Parts: sequence; structure tokens; C-alpha cells
Amino acid sequence: MARSLNELRPVYVVGIGWHRYQNPSETPYVELGLTAIRSALADARIEWPTVESSYVATALLGMASGRPMLRHLGATGAPLMHVENASASGSTAFRHACIEVASGISDVALAVGVDKRNPVRRSDTGIGNLAEDAIVPFTHFALLTNEYAVRHNASTEDIAQVAVKNHRNGAKNPNAQRQQERTLDEVLGGKRVSGSLTALQCTPIGEGAAAVIVASEDGIRRLGIDAGRAIRTTASVGRSERVYPPGAGFDAALTKETADLALAQAKLTPGDLDIIELHDAFTVEELHYIESIGLCPEGHGVRMLKEGALDIGGQCAINPSGGLIAMGHPIGPTGIGQIGEIVMQLRGEAGPRQHGGARTGLAHMVGVGAVCYVHILQK
Amino acid sequence: MQPNKLLKPSLYSEGSSNRDGTTVRLKGGRCRCGYVFFPMQTYGCERCGSYGDALTPYELSAEGTLLAEASVHLHADKNRLAPFTIVKVALDDGPVIRTLLADDSPPVTPGQRVTGRLVPTTQSESGETVLDLRFSIAS
Repeated sequence: MARSLNELRPVYVVGIGWHRYQNPSETPYVELGLTAIRSALADARIEWPTVESSYVATALLGMASGRPMLRHLGATGAPLMHVENASASGSTAFRHACIEVASGISDVALAVGVDKRNPVRRSDTGIGNLAEDAIVPFTHFALLTNEYAVRHNASTEDIAQVAVKNHRNGAKNPNAQRQQERTLDEVLGGKRVSGSLTALQCTPIGEGAAAVIVASEDGIRRLGIDAGRAIRTTASVGRSERVYPPGAGFDAALTKETADLALAQAKLTPGDLDIIELHDAFTVEELHYIESIGLCPEGHGVRMLKEGALDIGGQCAINPSGGLIAMGHPIGPTGIGQIGEIVMQLRGEAGPRQHGGARTGLAHMVGVGAVCYVHILQK
Repeated sequence: MQPNKLLKPSLYSEGSSNRDGTTVRLKGGRCRCGYVFFPMQTYGCERCGSYGDALTPYELSAEGTLLAEASVHLHADKNRLAPFTIVKVALDDGPVIRTLLADDSPPVTPGQRVTGRLVPTTQSESGETVLDLRFSIAS
């Protein structure tokens, strides 16, 4: 009989770390990754040789980038594997690190995401297409923005408020690529990209690294890790796109089925969530996904946004890190950075962007393909 | 007069010509399970997994309803100069496709009826006119 993560032994996040997400630079990826890992080890107060297994999430570094980075921590001989799953690479690496510890194969595992902004290369499937070369991700989401605006009578200004909120959150995050508050006029007045999307409503191109260390209760005891700062992963679900009714938005439909399974696994309802970190690469996505997760009925996202219900200190803080729009989206690190943000919030260590009384957080990523990963963490 | 050349003959074929341009048939496929898709392929049905002879060519009309449009202002690929407009169309025959709006089309909004036709894009080296699919408001 198949079992879900929370039916295996408990697994906890015990260490988190980043290399700040930033504009493309000359810094080698090795330095980005090592900074994040050493910071996660220091946060957990454990030494590298105690890590029994590593999952390296990267989409753009090419083959076998992990070992040339990890060897500088001291070559312990521990297994490592690379995870490529588009934007969800980091989330997928985290899931498999959790599964390895929950299954009992390891007591301590690392998930690290690192990327530089190299060109995306995808192989030809052998099936032709009409104009896919003309439809890059921001145009895919510009089309969804147009559909959402017409269907729910939402204005360009309404949708752009997502960016105002997330830039405000990012301004308080030292690991964010964009750390500047923006007015609605600044967001709307910026460079036009596609449809009604402007540059400040789109995730920036960047690089960086994020790392988390997960451990079992045995590992926590044996290594003397502070159990009071350990945050349990109570649900992990990964899904891929099915055939939906013609015209249905697959990103939202896939998010709904993945989030429903994760909430059921943790025995929670959407109203129990204090924090959500979600894939807001483009403003309209945040509205789609909070509705898919079930925070409000379809088309009611703008109302929640305008009421401040999605702010830090509101009903449920969405993307307190700044999200992909402000914190950034270096690809491999992004899903792992979301986990780090939620852990920081649930520990009460998020400083000026702390959401008061946060006990339950959900992390969501979609990736081209499409795939979707949802994790729930609880204090 | 030089004959027309199609930019992507594996995806569409030329129908009759009239004053609005050349009509087009899209080369879709249909599975034994009833699932209709575009373009034709024999790798396997996305809905049921049947492959090979279970999948047969199925011509689709280029008539449909606009679901969404986006005018692209920025595009890195130098072979495709911005601005241009992408449309998402629910074909009357089932599949949803995304492609380009004709340069001479008036602005479109979701819910409008649209039609695909073959329009001249470039000239090939041998002087033939190269036709490609573009959508515009149904006449």
C-alpha cells in the first residue's frame, strides 16, 4: 500500500541558508552554492560530515555541476544527485531529501539550489508548432492576464497591486534581488513587456543559491540540534499536468489538484494557512493560485488583495519573502528559498517582515512542462 | 505568377482563395478514444495513451472564438521583431491553439469570432511567396 510523506517518520527542516539572489555577475556558481550551504550548516549548528546525502537542484548549469561545488566542503563520499525540474527543481530536490529522511535511509540530508542565468536549451520533440518561438513565458502569462481581467472584470491596476505588495515585502528581505518599494504608478509606468505586463510585474533574471538541511528525530537528538527551531514538513505532493477541458488554465487546474492533496495530507483547510510562498513569476499568477489553493472563490483574489488580507499581518501573508517578483527566481534555488522563508517565519525569526503568530505555511511551485509541487510546514 | 510556398506544410494545407486571402485547413489528429488534438502526431494520445494506428489525421477548420490576446512589446529573438500580437483561440473543432494575429487585423477582444487564413509573409530565395497562418476577426 502506497503511503504519503506524513505517514512515514517525521522529517524536520533544521537549517536554512542563502546566497543573496542578484543580477547576473561574474561570481562562479561554486561560490554562490557554498555560501548558501555553509550558512545552512551554521544555522543548524552541525558540521558538513554529518550530512549523509545531497540533492542539487539546478536547471541551467549543465551536467554534473554538484561535485565541483560540494568537494570544497570536504569530500566525504556521501551520495549526491542532481535534480532538474524547470522552475520546480528546488521544490523537487526538497521533496526527495524529505523522502530520503522520512523513509529512514538517512538521518540528515541537504537540498541545495544554485543557478547562473545561462541560456535555456530544450530539445526538439519532433512535433511542429505554429508560433511557439514567439510565445515566451511572459507572453503565456500575458494571455492569462487578459483572460482573467475579462472574466473577472479586473483592471490592469487591480492586478498590478500584486507587484506593489511583493516589492514592499522584498524591500525588507536582505536576500531579495529587488529590495525597493514601488508605487502603483512606478509598477504600471515601467517598461511594457507583453500585454498589460510591465517589467516590475515580471520576475527578474538573476542568480543565487538557497540551501536547507532536513533531519529525522534521531538525527536531531544524535547531533544535539535545537528541536525548538526545527520545523516539520507535514505534507509533500508532486503532480504533473493532465488533460483539462479545452480552454481551462492548466497552471491553475494543476495547482488546485496538487494543493488539495497536500492540504488533505496535512489534514488542514485553506483557512488554516498563515503563510503561502507561491510561484508569482508574473502578477496574475498570485491571483490564480490563491484561488486554486482555496483561499477564496475564483475571481475574488483582487478583493482580498485590496483589503490587505494578503499582506504581512493580514489573514494569510502571501509571498512575505517578496516572491519571485521581488526576491527573484534564479530557477534552481527558488523552491528551496521558499522553504527557508517559511521556516524563518514559523520560527519567528523573520525580523521586519515577520507575520505574527505564524504556525502553518505552504510552499507552491509550478514548472514548465507542466509540473507542480506543494509542501506544507508546521510549527 | 510564382506558386505559393507554405512556411509550415506539416501543420496546415491550402484551401480555396477568395478576396480575404487563402483559406486554410489545420492538420490535426483524432484518437480512437475520441480525443481531437493539434498538430497530428503518432507518438501517442495524451488522453488515453493509444498510439500508432489508433491516431488518424483529422482536418480542423480554422474557425474559432478568441480566448485571449497579448501584444508583445519585447522579444529577444531577432528573427521575430516586436511588436506583434499573440492570440489564443478555441477552435470550433475542439483544440485550443496559440499563434499570431494578422498584422492588418483590427484589435481583437476575448469572445470575438476569429478565422485563420494563409497570408504572405516573406519571399523565398527562388522568388516564391511564403504563406503562414494568421488569425483575424471573422468576416
